[in-house]
Amino acid sequence: MIETQVSNERITAYFQADAGERNRLFRGFVSELKALVQAGDHQTAHRWAGQAVSPVQDYSSVQRLGRIVRQAAAALPGEPFRLAVLGGPTTIQFVELLEAFLATVGPVEIFECEYGLFRQEILVPGSGLDRFEPQAVFLATSMRDIARLPRPGQAAADVAADLDAEATEWLGLWSAVRDRWGATVIQNLFEEPPWGSLGHYATRVPSAPEHFIRRLNARLLETAPPEVLFHDLPAVAANVGAADWFDPRYYLEAKMPCGPEALVRYAHSVGAVVRALRGKSRRVLVLDLDNTVWGGVIGDVGIQGLVLGQGSAEGEAFIAFQQWAKDLKDRGIVLAVCSKNDDATAREPFDRREDMVLRLDDIACFVANWQNKADNLRTIAAQLELGLDAFVFVDDNPAERAIVRRFLPEVAVPDLPADPAGYVAAVAQHRYFEAASWTREDAERAAYYAQNARRNELRLQAGDLQGFLASLNMEARLAPVSEVNLQRVTQLVNKSNQFNLTTRRRTQTEIAALAEARDWATLTVSLRDTLGDNGLISVIFVKREDGIASIDTWLMSCRVLQRGVEAFVLNELARQAQDAGCHELVGTYIPTARNALVRDHFANLGFLPAGADGDTTFWRLPIDGYTPHDTFIQAVAVHD
Amino acid sequence: MTDVRAQLVEVFRDVFDDDTLELFDAMTAADVEGWDSLQHINLIVAVEKTFHVKFAAAEIGRLKDRDQNVGTFTRLIESKVSSAGA
Repeated sequence: MIETQVSNERITAYFQADAGERNRLFRGFVSELKALVQAGDHQTAHRWAGQAVSPVQDYSSVQRLGRIVRQAAAALPGEPFRLAVLGGPTTIQFVELLEAFLATVGPVEIFECEYGLFRQEILVPGSGLDRFEPQAVFLATSMRDIARLPRPGQAAADVAADLDAEATEWLGLWSAVRDRWGATVIQNLFEEPPWGSLGHYATRVPSAPEHFIRRLNARLLETAPPEVLFHDLPAVAANVGAADWFDPRYYLEAKMPCGPEALVRYAHSVGAVVRALRGKSRRVLVLDLDNTVWGGVIGDVGIQGLVLGQGSAEGEAFIAFQQWAKDLKDRGIVLAVCSKNDDATAREPFDRREDMVLRLDDIACFVANWQNKADNLRTIAAQLELGLDAFVFVDDNPAERAIVRRFLPEVAVPDLPADPAGYVAAVAQHRYFEAASWTREDAERAAYYAQNARRNELRLQAGDLQGFLASLNMEARLAPVSEVNLQRVTQLVNKSNQFNLTTRRRTQTEIAALAEARDWATLTVSLRDTLGDNGLISVIFVKREDGIASIDTWLMSCRVLQRGVEAFVLNELARQAQDAGCHELVGTYIPTARNALVRDHFANLGFLPAGADGDTTFWRLPIDGYTPHDTFIQAVAVHD
Repeated sequence: MTDVRAQLVEVFRDVFDDDTLELFDAMTAADVEGWDSLQHINLIVAVEKTFHVKFAAAEIGRLKDRDQNVGTFTRLIESKVSSAGA
């Protein structure tokens, strides 16, 4: 018992520490994780290793965490996500690092192919990859995998024909992956050789290899179907620095695509894409104010004393950081403020300083008080109805970072340098906010949260819920899944945790197939009200068989909770099922760590219990004699 | 035992996840459980980092050669450490 406490203390101390101190504590931390694995507590070891790993650690550290993740992963509950990593260059070192970066995604099973055999694995029936049946395939290729790299001087017509043939071949590999397994492709863009024989003039010579590679990348980007994801390897290499990227020693001896330290950044970056694909990217950026968003302590120096804006390098550095946050907000990341200040004092610069880039209406949730920040972050999470594992917390004060890391280890808390000029890179290098799709609705997401906060306010004013709902004049648009909404539907299916009855994840390709299937019905609901457009907020998949309509998937965005959307959807499901000749609706609830919210969903809607299988419960609702629920939602026709 | 050898034991123990591992001059990959091509690279990277040295391309794989062992590897590191210090 005492031993367990000691071990927890060492782990907590590691998490609480800042960069320099963490390095010193690393060995002790790893021994505790190993002890946990040996004691059989795989889940805890796996979780801590996943939360500890970071792209700023060195190769040996990430590799050791990766090994713990690997040892612990086999004992994890749940169906693993099947990811194939197909090189190109050798992938064994890369995969061990990648496993560390994917630990917080959940169990992942990785398939690797023999060095350079990726084409055969994809194309030959019965290959190891075929038996593995991947859900996602990362083509970990390099420029050496381009089959038709020209030599300077090759005839222009030949080069053009080779470019066509090369692009066609890659497109063929991707469609094979999609057609055979319905898996998502993640394709490396090709990096350029660092030192070509023509130097800068290669830009004018189509037969120069680097020229060809640029055109090939452009061609692939233009012709790739929307469901193909790219991993921008040249951008990662540029970020590391070309001189530090390729290490010929490790290529010559071990066929490693880059040097070991660069490999950490590479694995982290691919991990970020996979995290996004699995709906695990972070969605909220919480900012401290004093010395994070502006220089100085507003309570001490007053509004005119702040270091901010043009005229000083430091003031401009804060502006640059604000601009970075503002760009994220405009892209759909939710911004919140968590500051130790009096509320009025903290808001003053937003209202009165012209040089503030961030304005109050950029902030979905503004918390300034004297309570501890861990509690305040919990409050913000509750108000936004988002999990803390979607949060990034940026604060210049190491003590505040330590408190949040200690009590909320699921929140990402990057180290900040002393110099504000380094803030953007210090946060951005973690790639917290990677996207696997992006639509106009995502860009507007931050606005939804602000609207939601206002709705909560209105609800308090309106007093009774019925009157409030009536005042919203809600309009719902109903539509099946189609090309128009496929991206958004895929995103919700892979991201929704709380209002999600079965949490069945599917790839875009799988969902597209389901929308076409004759025995399946798909339904999406978009909701608009007087305060704004909520966009597409609910997805339902129903399988019809022998007169029974089984609700395979029912999920909803939590921002429209308690609006009567569930009852409205049920009315529609019953109507559709009846039209299709069904006599009964069947519901399934599969409990997860995140969806307790909907445990009584079917009971609340009048379904009858119909047995259980372990924790999973089944529910049935006879359709004959179904009386539609009253709601305050008006259905409107969809214009195609 | 030299300083290099004392630190090298720690590196080996970390890489091969074995706190009881001891080194001897005649030791080769065959004597250590789990010394495969993955672990070999992990070892080389950890040694480069720990001793602030850089192996030449040919030296990275040399330890796997017939006439090579932990003794020759230790001396290779020592020569690099001392020339870096000089």
